[in-house]
Formats: sequence, structure tokens, C-alpha cells
Amino acid sequence: MTLLRRAIAALGVAAMIAAGLRIRGTGGTPPQTGGWRELRGPDLR
Amino acid sequence: MSSGSSGGRRTAGVLGVGATGARAARQLASADTVDAVVLGGQGDRPVALQRSLGSAARIGEPIGPATGVVVLAGPAGTHVEAARRAVDLGIHVVSTSDAVGDVEGLLDLDARATANGACVVVGAGFSPGLSCVLARHLADWVDRVDEIHLSRFGTGGPACARQHHRALAARAIDWRDGDWVRRRGGSGRELSVFPDPVGSLDCYRAALPDALLLHPAFPDASRITARQAANRRQRMLAFLPMLRRPHPEGRIGAIRVEVRGERGGEMVCEVAGAIDRPAVAAGAVAGLAARWALAGRFEPGAAGLAGRVEPVPFLTELSEFGVRAAVFVGVT
Repeated sequence: MTLLRRAIAALGVAAMIAAGLRIRGTGGTPPQTGGWRELRGPDLR
Repeated sequence: MSSGSSGGRRTAGVLGVGATGARAARQLASADTVDAVVLGGQGDRPVALQRSLGSAARIGEPIGPATGVVVLAGPAGTHVEAARRAVDLGIHVVSTSDAVGDVEGLLDLDARATANGACVVVGAGFSPGLSCVLARHLADWVDRVDEIHLSRFGTGGPACARQHHRALAARAIDWRDGDWVRRRGGSGRELSVFPDPVGSLDCYRAALPDALLLHPAFPDASRITARQAANRRQRMLAFLPMLRRPHPEGRIGAIRVEVRGERGGEMVCEVAGAIDRPAVAAGAVAGLAARWALAGRFEPGAAGLAGRVEPVPFLTELSEFGVRAAVFVGVT
């Protein structure tokens, strides 16, 4: 019974950590170089 | 690209005069190639818009055979039946819907539209719409297109905001390695860099129709995906009805289009984007597409803009309405 309770508690903690990471994480790192420039010229390049 | 003439008809119809439809109507009313704009919609908005546009606009008239083109800018779910009626009369159709069901239904009208000599421009808004034109433009820069990835941020009017909310909770549809793949909305987090001042935002899968529109234009691309930006609140509450009243006109929005492929034997990645208020940009794209349809610049049949437009003249004309695109440069 104690083992079962501990297993359930461990699963609960793992689920909370996973949910936190899923909600609070980010999808990547923005590029450190480069930038936006308006399309221009006859070919809009 | 040409054909699909409107037979000299110079009247345009606009069904649904919310944030997007009103701007499309305004643009059409100011065009030299359009004699009159017939407005249709619910409530007193058509009356108010007609007062604002003056003699160029009319209300209370059905969309009939004298109409050359009709812009459908009503709520999602209303476009297919209206398009079917118009196509049966030989009237060109420009739809701004970004609902997967609408886009699938409109693309299914292809044979009917071709038989009636009408063109159905599907997804003529900000995204899809301008995003499809940018995808075509970037694709022309490479020898072979392997992948196309789109992301978008922001909403137009209230109907667009509700559709955006529903999309995050519905199943996404992507093209992947020769097959359609449906995945849970709200999954697949990826950071997308939009033009300034929007910047970097996390984007997620959602029920967006972009892949359905781009695949026919780029049948050899192995992957076509679309994502939309969402914050934590939007993700957590996507399965509930909207708890906040949407902004009546929408705030700033952005799109980003990434095309990966081969040029001169090297793998390249080209990125373009745009920022604008989505309703403003969508109205401009829809209005311009309607003018091109009236001028017979589209082939009969149903398709998105990526398979229809010559991107440089389209983007050039669009820039005259203040909708400008940018390219991301300088990645090392």
C-alpha cells in the first residue's frame, strides 16, 4: 500500500513538472544575427 | 495567367461587411474598373457603410447575373453555399475564409466553376492569402521547393477572432512526405520570428487551411505546415468558448513564410513576412483579387492565390494600399 501511494505521488509530481515545462517552455531561440528588410526593386527582392 | 473574363460586368458584390469586408468594399468602390459595389450583410453595418461610400455602393440588391465578382467576407461556415450560388450564375468568387471546412468545400467547386467559366479564389485574406502570395514569390527564388512553413499572429474582426480561437482547439492538417497528417491543435511549439515590432513568438499547430491551398500549387514539396501564435491563456482555454469579447477591428498581426529548397545545388532557406492589422491587409488582398478576377486575370476553377497570381505585380499593387512585405536577411 505504501509503495502504491509513493508511486502515485511520484507520478503526480512528474505530471506537474511536465505540465509546467509544457506551459512555461519556449519553442526555440531567436536568431542572433540578421534582420528584416522591406522587399524592394522591380523584382521585389 | 488569364481568361475567366467577367464579360464586361463591372459590378462587385461584398457579402459580409465586417472589419475585412468593409475594407474590401471600400477598395472596390474606389477602383476605376468597378462601377458599383453591392453590399450584403446583417444588422445596420451595410447601411452605415453605404452611407460612407456614397453613390458607389448599393444595398438591398441580390447578387445576380449582372454582378461580375462577389467577395465573401462573412463568418466561417457561410462561404460554400454562397459561392455555389454565385458560380452557377457564372460570377467570380473571392473568399476570405480561413476555416478548413470552407476551404475544402470551395476547392471542391473546381469542376463546377470551370464548367461555368467562373474563378473561385480561395483564402484571399492575410493568412491564407498574402501568405500564399509570399510563398509563391519565395518559391520563384529557388530551383526546387522542398518545404513550406507558415506561421501567423493576430486576428481581424470578431468573426476572425472566433475562428482563430476554434482553430487552436481543433485538429491541424499538414502535408508531410506525400500524405495528409492530422495532429492535435495546440501542439508542436515552434518559435517564429515575425517582422518587427512583433518579433519572436511561440506558434502552435491549429486547424489552418494553408497546406490545403499550397499543396496543389507546390505538389513536389515534401512538407507544408502552418502554425499560429498563441499565449498561455489562449492555449489553456482553447477548448472553452471565448471568454473575452473580441476586439471589433483587431490589433496588429503578422505572417511569416519560410520556403526551404535547393538553388544551384545548395540547400537554401528563404523567409518573408509582413505586419499589418489583419483585417486591413485581408481587405486589401480580397479587394485586389476581386479586381484581378474582374479583369480576367485568373483562370476559371477553384484554387488559392499561390497557384493563381504572378507575385511581383500582385505584391506591387498591394503595396500601393500600404500592405508591404519584408524578407529576413543576414542569417549566418
